[in-house]
Amino acid sequence: MLAKVADWLDERFGWRQVWEAIFLRKIPHVNWFYTLGSATLFVATTQAITGILLTMYYVPDPTRAYDSVTYITTELPMGWFIRGLHHWGASAMVILTVLHLLRVFFLGAYKYPREVTWITGVLLLLVVIGFGFTGYLLPWDQRAYWATTVGTRIIGLAPGVGEWMLRVARGGSDLSAVTLARFFGTHVWVLPASLAALIGIHLYLIIKIGISAVPEKDE
Amino acid sequence: MKESKEKMSRRDFMSAAIAGIGGIIGAAIGIPAIAYIIGPAQKTESGDWIQLGAISKVEMDTPTLFKTIIENQTGWVKEEEEFSAYVLTSNGRDFTVMSNVCTHLGCRVRWIDDQNIFACPCHNGKFSQDGNVLDGPPPRPLDRFEGMVENGILYVKRG
Repeated sequence: MLAKVADWLDERFGWRQVWEAIFLRKIPHVNWFYTLGSATLFVATTQAITGILLTMYYVPDPTRAYDSVTYITTELPMGWFIRGLHHWGASAMVILTVLHLLRVFFLGAYKYPREVTWITGVLLLLVVIGFGFTGYLLPWDQRAYWATTVGTRIIGLAPGVGEWMLRVARGGSDLSAVTLARFFGTHVWVLPASLAALIGIHLYLIIKIGISAVPEKDE
Repeated sequence: MKESKEKMSRRDFMSAAIAGIGGIIGAAIGIPAIAYIIGPAQKTESGDWIQLGAISKVEMDTPTLFKTIIENQTGWVKEEEEFSAYVLTSNGRDFTVMSNVCTHLGCRVRWIDDQNIFACPCHNGKFSQDGNVLDGPPPRPLDRFEGMVENGILYVKRG
């Protein structure tokens, strides 16, 4: 029955060809360090799922944000678990992305013809750091407030336009409701959209070009 | 080689392992996610007791209005709201607590002592001393609360 449905769909979609191209492609004999990219993608997926779940209750408003986070953590069933996954997953994202980058760098996998894969990868690292920076403010507790106060002040150190960019980042001269709302908007709309687009290109290139083999001793 | 038919192939083992581990991970996130989403709906309103005031303030056979501030919490929002009810006793031991909300469209009714009725200012609804409809559009008597007296203090159950 299931096979029949699969065949019926394949006749119309041709999904088997896509499936084979993605999952049954030939890869060189590699080691466990080559799984870091997949690990990053896996954590990114759980971040997306837990992040969507958190927006069900989180409110990006200074008078309510902290209370809504407390409600999620202490009153909702498994809320502590969902938030905990998102919290620790955030650190895992940064660590895994950097380890993946180091693997690609030290095994020379960024070279021709994979330069664009590398460039999108570096952009993805920036997006991940952006996620971490904007997400850190959202609980709106003391740590979040002061970390963002300090973090945004660094922008102000840029020569010439620094002061102006600081005001853009904060949406005014100080941290306020405007800051919280724009950090939230960036965290749940701008960055996820960028992430999805960049991952799309990144994965397309990996499948299209194939992954590089472990370099030989004399390479 | 002879046994290869019964033995699981490497490929089949990997497929089964991926499906199994994937299923476990899916359940580990999926089940908490369901609990997390349906959580607020599962919560039954706790009928906690509201402290209305001292029974000594209730006059015999005269509905007496009690007002108190109660704290209402919905989700993460805490709000204070005023709670008021009429208390009636004929013997000083048994108390009837009636809502002062008209059963017609929710206006506040007021006890008018010289006419011995509860009157609603909105559509001229009239209720008797024990809350029964005397006149006007209200469809049913004034709602009642479950009351309790402890150490001379009257409590009503939130409902």
